[in-house]
Amino acid sequence: MDFIISFLEQGLIYGVLALGVYITYKILDFPDLSVDGTFPLGASVTATLIVKGVNPYLTLLIAFAVGIAAGICTGLIHVKCQVRDLLAGIIMMTALWTINLRIAGTANVPMLSQQTIFKNDLLGAIVPTGISGYVKILMIVVLALICKLLLDGYLKTKSGYLLRAVGDNDILVTSLAKDQGNVKILGLAIANGLVALAGSMFCQYQRVFDISMGTGAVVIGLASVIIGTSILKKLTFFKPTTAVLFGAVIYMACVALALKKCTPQDTKLITAALLLIVLVVSRGRRKKVKTNA
Amino acid sequence: MKKKTAAILLSVVMAAAVLAGCGSKSDDNAANTADTTDTSETTEETSGDEQYTIGISQFAEHGSLDNCRTGFLEGLAEEGIVEGENLTVKYDNAMADMGMAGQIASSFISDKVDLVCGIATPSAQTLYNAAMDTDIPVVFTAVTDPIAAELVNEDGSAVGEVTGSSDKLPIEAQLQMIRKVLPDAKKLGIMYTTSEVNSVSAIAEYKELAGDYGFEIVEKGITTTADVPMAADDLLKQVDCVTNLTDNTVVNSLPTILEKANEKNIPIFGSEIEQVKIGCLAAEGIDYISLGKETGKMAAQILKGEKKASELEYLSIADTGLYVNTKVAENLGITLDEELVSGALESFDEITE
Repeated sequence: MDFIISFLEQGLIYGVLALGVYITYKILDFPDLSVDGTFPLGASVTATLIVKGVNPYLTLLIAFAVGIAAGICTGLIHVKCQVRDLLAGIIMMTALWTINLRIAGTANVPMLSQQTIFKNDLLGAIVPTGISGYVKILMIVVLALICKLLLDGYLKTKSGYLLRAVGDNDILVTSLAKDQGNVKILGLAIANGLVALAGSMFCQYQRVFDISMGTGAVVIGLASVIIGTSILKKLTFFKPTTAVLFGAVIYMACVALALKKCTPQDTKLITAALLLIVLVVSRGRRKKVKTNA
Repeated sequence: MKKKTAAILLSVVMAAAVLAGCGSKSDDNAANTADTTDTSETTEETSGDEQYTIGISQFAEHGSLDNCRTGFLEGLAEEGIVEGENLTVKYDNAMADMGMAGQIASSFISDKVDLVCGIATPSAQTLYNAAMDTDIPVVFTAVTDPIAAELVNEDGSAVGEVTGSSDKLPIEAQLQMIRKVLPDAKKLGIMYTTSEVNSVSAIAEYKELAGDYGFEIVEKGITTTADVPMAADDLLKQVDCVTNLTDNTVVNSLPTILEKANEKNIPIFGSEIEQVKIGCLAAEGIDYISLGKETGKMAAQILKGEKKASELEYLSIADTGLYVNTKVAENLGITLDEELVSGALESFDEITE
């Protein structure tokens, strides 16, 4: 049970990151590498503020806002400076390394004695001792669901439809007399806001900020999106956002399983193998569904 | 159809890889097969013949850190807690990935091991974070500054059931030694990774003390291994000699730097024994095996219930040793002071690749 909770916790935190990646990669068709920088950006802002005594819940919103700013920068570099999408992300990711170091002041900020969204006086007072072990997972589930539902809601608005149109058929957007550049910037802003929010949650979960925590974040995000959407593709009653969260949990489950069962040197290969098995098995089932239908 | 067969074939191969990989882990712990999988049994402490299970989380694959782990197990063995006899060791390596470190920590805690050991700062922090609300004690080693890492209070007292040892560099002794070897050197170069707190705090101390020994510090920050060659070229142009920290990225790329320095005939000083072996001129440094050993002895006291982790003060190495490489000195055309060489803890007359 503890084992399941531990990968659910991390999986859903990375799930919030994957929701951001879903917007750029799936909806906008924009491979956004700035994620590797905005994930620790959210964390560095959070760590700095928490050490200064700011309310941990407030830091979530601030991290989201800072992530939006970073996303706008990536968008501006791409749209206004006409830098290709991949390179715009790389430029932003590189710049953010220094920015993160400057914000945090050092490469590693511990918050072991600080209040976080998972452990603070208020929670200590209102949560009955019986379920105190489940506070973390409950908090993460609630936050991930809020993100998912808000994103679902947003995608149904006019602005959300435009966002989807930019990825699918950008000529349509232009013919509606809308500037597709602005829509892209908006999409990148929301996406990176979510990623920074995930970074904020993650560093409060681990109670330490480390500059290296962003390395590979974009890979986890992309993998989660692809795993989630391909496994749940036929189950159309699941929204793609649900699928993405699910994908992140699957990814983390594979990592956790590989860690638990294998020698340290092999963990990466085993993780890769498990992920491939998940994808292949899900593809096999999809084909069957097709032939029966 | 062809594709499907290929897909099935591939997944079978991968599944076999998974099984093979997992198989090797159980081989490692073959001595106590029954207990490895079910730790709940081992946590039940019976009087007389006690079985212990510990989890070791190491942050990266790295010579010094590996030495720490070896020493740690040796230390435990000296106190009668021997791996394979009455000790089950779960070892995982985070491969320098914070998310992985967190996973490892929660996996150890859910397995309810008797003690966890974190090697290097991020692993120690994630372990303590996970173990904080449980009664599992945490032992750390190779943490340069436990106070800055919030693993120890500022007055040296315990923050919780956590203690361990620090691998703070003997910077003053190192400067003294370099001055002795190179009486005329002025500019001392240091390369470090901006993401490693250990290095950043060591640089600050170097800068503070350099003036006392007539050195001027030239620092060069890098972010990844890919930056090393360029940074080394640039640094070597500006300095008379170079000294190393225990910076993970730089230490891993040390051969690159040594080769470039040899071309320019610039001496490089190391920070521990392994670096001198592969071609640094000398080092006033730490022996990570003995650091690990001392830490292992602390862990043994905790496991046996003689002391609680919070009652043991953290260790900082008191004595460091000098290591010299006479072959390197010969190549550089430097005559080492006889007294210095004879006073060295260990001297090498060849360069091991």
